Amino acid sequence: MTELAPHSVLLLVVWGAVVALDLVSVPQAMLSRPLVAGAVAGWLAGDVEAGLRVGVLLELFALDVLPIGAVRYPDYGPATVVAAALAAGAPWELGLGLSIGVALVLAVLGGWSLQFVRRLNARAIQRRAAALAAGESGAIRMLQYGGVLRDAARGAALTAGGLGAAWAVVRWLPLDRETAVGLTLVAIGSALSAVAGGAVRSAGRGVRLKWLAAGLAAGTLLAVLR
Amino acid sequence: MTGGWRALVRLLAVQGTWNYERMLGVGMGYAAEPLLEDLKTVDPVRHGEAVVRSAEFFNCNPNLAGLALGATARAEYEAVPGAQIARLRTALCSPLGALGDELFWVGLVPALVGAALVATVLGAGWWAILGFLALYNAIRLGTAVWALRTGFDAGMRVGSAISTSWIPRAVARIGPVAGGAVGLAVPLVAGWYLRGFGWIGAIGALAVAGVGAAVSRWFGPSLTSVRFALLAMALLVFFRRVGL
Repeated sequence: MTELAPHSVLLLVVWGAVVALDLVSVPQAMLSRPLVAGAVAGWLAGDVEAGLRVGVLLELFALDVLPIGAVRYPDYGPATVVAAALAAGAPWELGLGLSIGVALVLAVLGGWSLQFVRRLNARAIQRRAAALAAGESGAIRMLQYGGVLRDAARGAALTAGGLGAAWAVVRWLPLDRETAVGLTLVAIGSALSAVAGGAVRSAGRGVRLKWLAAGLAAGTLLAVLR
Repeated sequence: MTGGWRALVRLLAVQGTWNYERMLGVGMGYAAEPLLEDLKTVDPVRHGEAVVRSAEFFNCNPNLAGLALGATARAEYEAVPGAQIARLRTALCSPLGALGDELFWVGLVPALVGAALVATVLGAGWWAILGFLALYNAIRLGTAVWALRTGFDAGMRVGSAISTSWIPRAVARIGPVAGGAVGLAVPLVAGWYLRGFGWIGAIGALAVAGVGAAVSRWFGPSLTSVRFALLAMALLVFFRRVGL
């Protein structure tokens, strides 16, 4: 993890809040996809390559998730921002594994925090139940702004806490070269397992499975020829 | 349709107050406000009732929420009985959820992400990301505009408007594209990472992938891909610390 200037930390926290908001609340423009969140975070941390490496690998985990309605799922946005900052400035072969490990823990915490915000939203609605029953548009607006603000605060807190945790991990959990490389290989293997599992599940037994197999064959051929 | 564009912008935040009681309900009420403004001058009592109904329980895929929003707003202007409008909202939850999730989360997103991953590992860099964002948001915003207009034009007949629209056909077509794109991306991404580690490193990573796939199948949902990854990493660090 490179030494980050205070303004870079601030920008990363703001970006973490934006991608956390994007996942569910607003605007769902896919800014929260790890590929996007990681590239921008890498750029903010001064290492776009590290951001892309982190973003692509976490994207494989994210493809295993269907963000449908009330389903509980990890929040990869702020986690990717922290991981990209953690991986910045080091050779990716050494920094990627630890960054992905930290990101996965944060993604799970992010998923829990999403449930917490949803419960807070429900409580806010209960407090304004009378105004809602009276058809007050102002109450609806205030509830909406409150919900968005809570989600933004969740994202900012998650990113700021994650950056602090990443700094502590680097300081108190030094890894030798072999362990760092081993973690990276385990992270890559786990991500491949995640995306393969998700793709096969989504494909079912119909025509999509055939297209998946055809894509795999074409991709393998391209990868060998490159 | 007065307030259509404002409603459209507000629909982008339709999940802003997502909760387990009303789900998208309050977000729908927020988006409905500009559409119902004219009703306030025509019939203030009806307007008050419409606002209450607009924020009640509702759930569907956010990208197709405009269909329900437009249809119910039109029904309010046509003075359709409140109970009938409430039934329409309830009836739309499942189909709009299923169609939207299949179209966007199971189809379009994996298809475009797969394509963006391929472009990234082939060296497109920022262009891959910008292309992904531009294409997804163009489709998504175009769908939102269509959904709100179609819902408002159809009113209580929105069900037949949906079933004869392009949505069911698109759902059938996007799935195979998504499968192909993700399938194409996986080996290329694997090669992009593993090229620098030599044969032993590549075999090790692929072995982890194989074990992950096997144990996930064996243990089912209790061992998610994230849990497997964290467990494997923790075991690696532990064994390295104790000197194995």
